[in-house]
Amino acid sequence: MQSNKTKRSKSINLTSMRKSFSVKPLALGVAAIFLSACGDKQDAAVFTSVNDCTDANPEFAEKCKTAYADALKEAQRTGPKYNSQRDCESEFGNNQCNVVRNESGSFFMPLMAGYMLSNLMSPRGYYSQPMFTSFSRNSSYRNRWIGADGSDFGDNRRRTMRVSEKSLKPKPTVSKTMSRGGFGSSVRAKSSWGSSTKKGGWGG
Amino acid sequence: MLRVAIPERANWKRKAEEFGFKFHTMHGEAYWDESAYYQFSLEQIEQDLEAPTEDIHQMCLAVVDKVVNSQELLEKFQIPQAFWQQISDSWKKQDPSLYSRLDFAYHGKGPAKLYENNADTPTSLYESGFWQWLWLEEQVNAGKIPKQADQFNSLQEKLVNRLAVIAKHYDISQMHFACCQDTDEDRGTVQYLQDCAKESGLNNDFVFIEDIGLAECGSFSDLQDNKIQTLFKLYPWEFMQREEFGQSIQSAQVNWLEPIWKSILSNKALMPMLWKLFPNHPNLLPAYFEDELSKATETKLVKKPIFSREGANISVIEDGKTVLHADGPYGEEGFIYQAYYALPQFGNNHTLIGSWLVNDQAAGISVREDSSAITQDGSRYLPHIIL
Repeated sequence: MQSNKTKRSKSINLTSMRKSFSVKPLALGVAAIFLSACGDKQDAAVFTSVNDCTDANPEFAEKCKTAYADALKEAQRTGPKYNSQRDCESEFGNNQCNVVRNESGSFFMPLMAGYMLSNLMSPRGYYSQPMFTSFSRNSSYRNRWIGADGSDFGDNRRRTMRVSEKSLKPKPTVSKTMSRGGFGSSVRAKSSWGSSTKKGGWGG
Repeated sequence: MLRVAIPERANWKRKAEEFGFKFHTMHGEAYWDESAYYQFSLEQIEQDLEAPTEDIHQMCLAVVDKVVNSQELLEKFQIPQAFWQQISDSWKKQDPSLYSRLDFAYHGKGPAKLYENNADTPTSLYESGFWQWLWLEEQVNAGKIPKQADQFNSLQEKLVNRLAVIAKHYDISQMHFACCQDTDEDRGTVQYLQDCAKESGLNNDFVFIEDIGLAECGSFSDLQDNKIQTLFKLYPWEFMQREEFGQSIQSAQVNWLEPIWKSILSNKALMPMLWKLFPNHPNLLPAYFEDELSKATETKLVKKPIFSREGANISVIEDGKTVLHADGPYGEEGFIYQAYYALPQFGNNHTLIGSWLVNDQAAGISVREDSSAITQDGSRYLPHIIL
């Protein structure tokens, strides 16, 4: 027995439970994720500045600098774009957005908050990509590392993580899946059975 | 245990929109119903529901332990032979489970009687863990419910903690989540678990069950061809085991939630097994396999398919005659029989208590009402308080 103790969740973060407040960005980059179907993950680190990177990897100061420049370029190309400053700031926080002009017009984009680096020491070359984060109380991106396509890389206090090569490469994924649709046939069979199933769900 | 009428929150539908609760009304009928709530005493909750829930869970685990070691029982449970070894391995490795919901008939006094164990794909999780919590919070703030009112509902807190434990167990930082297409309710349930996973520090990705792929290396993949390493699937094991990709389950090496040993619990054959192992337990109803029906002394029995969902294909039989029947697509794997025990009635409503477990800990309750004695998918969900 646990008398004299509340029997419900002490607190629930309502902000993170909201679904409809945020305005969708106009554009998101290509879908990039981790772990290819048959591959492995690798270590990556996030740095908030060139100095941050150089402090950790003094022998690779030059690479830290070029990787930063690459990530900045990539941020402009693939980062989230908004029509208005207000929309951008409501997602990323006050003073966290600036105007970007390119051939397709002018947009408001969040500032790059850091860059993710992997394989810094590999002779085959390193991977880098821009990281964003939010300071807005209303945003589900608050205090998270967010990639250009909106993928969430976890709490922004975390500086190292394991990700797949794919999440670091800007190019689209290569299909190695041979077939789909091997699950779900029971539902089709049972759904076609009749009309008494009102909801069509298969939970209990 | 009382049913108390209360005015609805004026803006609750707008709130539902804001929080993405899309299935509060289904096919024009109310599912979430806050025109009343159920009130329990702390004693009713702790002695009659919380403690028995944890006890029954342990009894269920004893059944699993017995069944995995017996060919005869595995056959009785209608588990395809190809999965016997996998189930046994998963049980012996103690693959971690996430959650279950036990359904009880409870009259506010006396022992709650177990109807069944939804151990594999329980829904109404979001309504329970989050939405009724928010309802209480707001009704207390509005002065409509006394400040000292509590709720038996630590679901969200426990789910977040449990997901972190599971992540540590498998040494993972990401999970995939899946349910079938075209159902707001299942998608909402899975989204809720994704929210809980995020809260516990996990990255999460979604794929529809129908979109899962099989990669050349034997892994399952999502639509972006990412490997599915860990999968929460709101889709029954008994279906998966009988479908085309069933034969690839072993080689795909997925960390499953729920683990495959739960095939034994989300199975109505559990009920007669519980009665065999724990005869006359106050929270159990007598139950029989089809081939031992002659042992039944009860004149009124409920006939349930070994596999079924949402009350489908259940009949009530009195003196050998069917007096009530719910249609459905199940039953080809056989039936079990359980002594008839009525749900309590509040007005015209038959009330069923769902009692949640996160792993082996009781974590809260949900209350559902139906106009029929068989709770089906047209039932309504009502919030509750402890006072």
